[in-house]
Amino acid sequence: MTESAYTVTVPKDLEDLIPMFMSNRKKELETLRSALAALDLEQLRQLGHRMKGVGNSYGFEKVSVLGKRIEDGARSGDRAALETCIAEYDEFLGRVSIVYG
Amino acid sequence: MAEAASVNLSPRTEAGFRVLVVDDDPDMTGFLAHLLRKQGIVVDTAGDGDAALERVAAERPDLVLLDVMMPGPSGFDICKKLKSRHDTALMPIVLITALEDKDSRVKGIEAGADDFLSKPVNPSELLARVNTLRRLHETRRELETRRQSAEIQRKEAIRKAFSRYVSPRLADRIIQDIGIEGGPFKGNAQRINVVAVFADLRGLSSLTEGGEVGEVVEMLNEYFSILTDAAYQHDGTVFSMSGDSLLVGFNVPFLQSDAATRALRAAQDMVSRFAPVSARWERRFGVRTGVGVGICMGEAIIANVGSPHYMNYTVIGDPVGTAARLMQAANANEILVCGRVYEAVRDLLPAGTMAPRGDITLRGKAESVPVYAVRV
Repeated sequence: MTESAYTVTVPKDLEDLIPMFMSNRKKELETLRSALAALDLEQLRQLGHRMKGVGNSYGFEKVSVLGKRIEDGARSGDRAALETCIAEYDEFLGRVSIVYG
Repeated sequence: MAEAASVNLSPRTEAGFRVLVVDDDPDMTGFLAHLLRKQGIVVDTAGDGDAALERVAAERPDLVLLDVMMPGPSGFDICKKLKSRHDTALMPIVLITALEDKDSRVKGIEAGADDFLSKPVNPSELLARVNTLRRLHETRRELETRRQSAEIQRKEAIRKAFSRYVSPRLADRIIQDIGIEGGPFKGNAQRINVVAVFADLRGLSSLTEGGEVGEVVEMLNEYFSILTDAAYQHDGTVFSMSGDSLLVGFNVPFLQSDAATRALRAAQDMVSRFAPVSARWERRFGVRTGVGVGICMGEAIIANVGSPHYMNYTVIGDPVGTAARLMQAANANEILVCGRVYEAVRDLLPAGTMAPRGDITLRGKAESVPVYAVRV
C-alpha cells in the first residue's frame, strides 16, 4: 500500500467526532480478533456489516471495504480471508493519518 | 464531503422539529445526529428498537431515522409497530439500509417506511430527504390545524342554531352526536311519543293596552326567561314562543324515560318561580298575573318544517292541540294534565298533589277527555 492509501480526508465539521470514532475502531479490532479466535462467524458478519456502514459515512473508505470483505468472509466461513482482513485493518489503523478539510 | 454537507438547505432553525435517530452503532448515531443538529434540528438517539419505542412515547419526534439491522427488534419491526398505531401512523420514518440490499427496501415499503437512506450515509442525501419530509410533515400539520379549527367553527355555528330550541347541555349532546348516522335533527320526520307543555301568561292584556311599550317588553322578557329556564333545567326543548305562550316538548330530540315527570316538574317550576315576579308586578302596576299550563302526552310528528328560507324544528299532532286546549282551560297558576300524563306520574307524586277536574271536550273530537289539576 502506498502512503496515500493511509491518508483519509475527513470533513472539518466531523473533527469532534473522530477521536471517539477511532477509539471505537480500535475496540472493534480487538472484538474482531476474539470473534475469529472463537470462530464466531455471526458476530464477525455483524461487525463487518457495521464497519461497512459506518466507514464511508465518516470518509474512511478502507474501513467500509474491509467491512464488506469481513462480512463476505464470515458468510462463506473463509477463515484465511478473515485473518488477512483483520491484519490489514490492524495495519491501517496503525498507520492512518487524518486530514481535515 | 464538506461541500456535500452544506447543500442548498437553509440552516434556519425550524422551531420544535425533532428527529429520533435509532442505530445500534454509536458512531452512526453520533454522525447522523451531528449532521442534523447543524441544521438546527433537535435530535434524540436510541441504541435499539425497544429504546426507540420508549423515546417515541416520551419525545413525540416529528421524524424517525431508523437503522434496519439491530439486535432485538429490527427496524422493520419498529416501523411496522409505529405505522400500525393510530397516534404514530403519520410520523415519517426513514429506514437506513445497506446500499446493495434491495430486499430490505421491499420489506421496508411493506413495513410502511416513508423513505430510505443507504449506508454509508451521504450527508447531502440525508439532509435532502429529512428536509423534504420535514416540509411534508409541516404542511400536513398545518392542514390538520386548519381542519380542526374549521370543525370547531362548524360545531359552534350548529350550537348557536340549536341553542334556540334546547338547553346548552342538550346542545352539547347534539354536537357530540353530529356525524352519527340518524342523529337528532338530522334525519327525516319521525313519529314519536311526545310530552307537550303549553304555558301562557294571564292578566297581561290590561297592561298591553295601556302600559308603556318598553315596560311591557321587559315584563314579557322576564316572564319568558323564567319559563325557558325552567324548561331547560329539566331538559325540555322549546318549540315555539309567540305572544305570551310557550310550547315545550319532552322526549325529544333525545328519548327521556321520565319525560312526563320532567314535564310536570318544569311546569311546577314555571308556576312557582313566576309567583314572586307576579307579586312584584301586582305591587307596582296593580295587575294580577299568573301562568296557566296544559300538559299532554301522545304520538306526534317531529320535523324541520318550513320553506328553504325559514325552517323551524316543529312538533305536530294531537298532544300539542290538547295541551293548548288544557292551557286555555287552566286558571292562573294552575297546571292541567291529560289522562296519560296523570297515569304516568301519579305514583311518583305525593298523595293529594293531583285531583280530577272533570272532562273537557276537544275541538273536532266527539268524546270528552278526563282532566286532572296539579297542585303547585
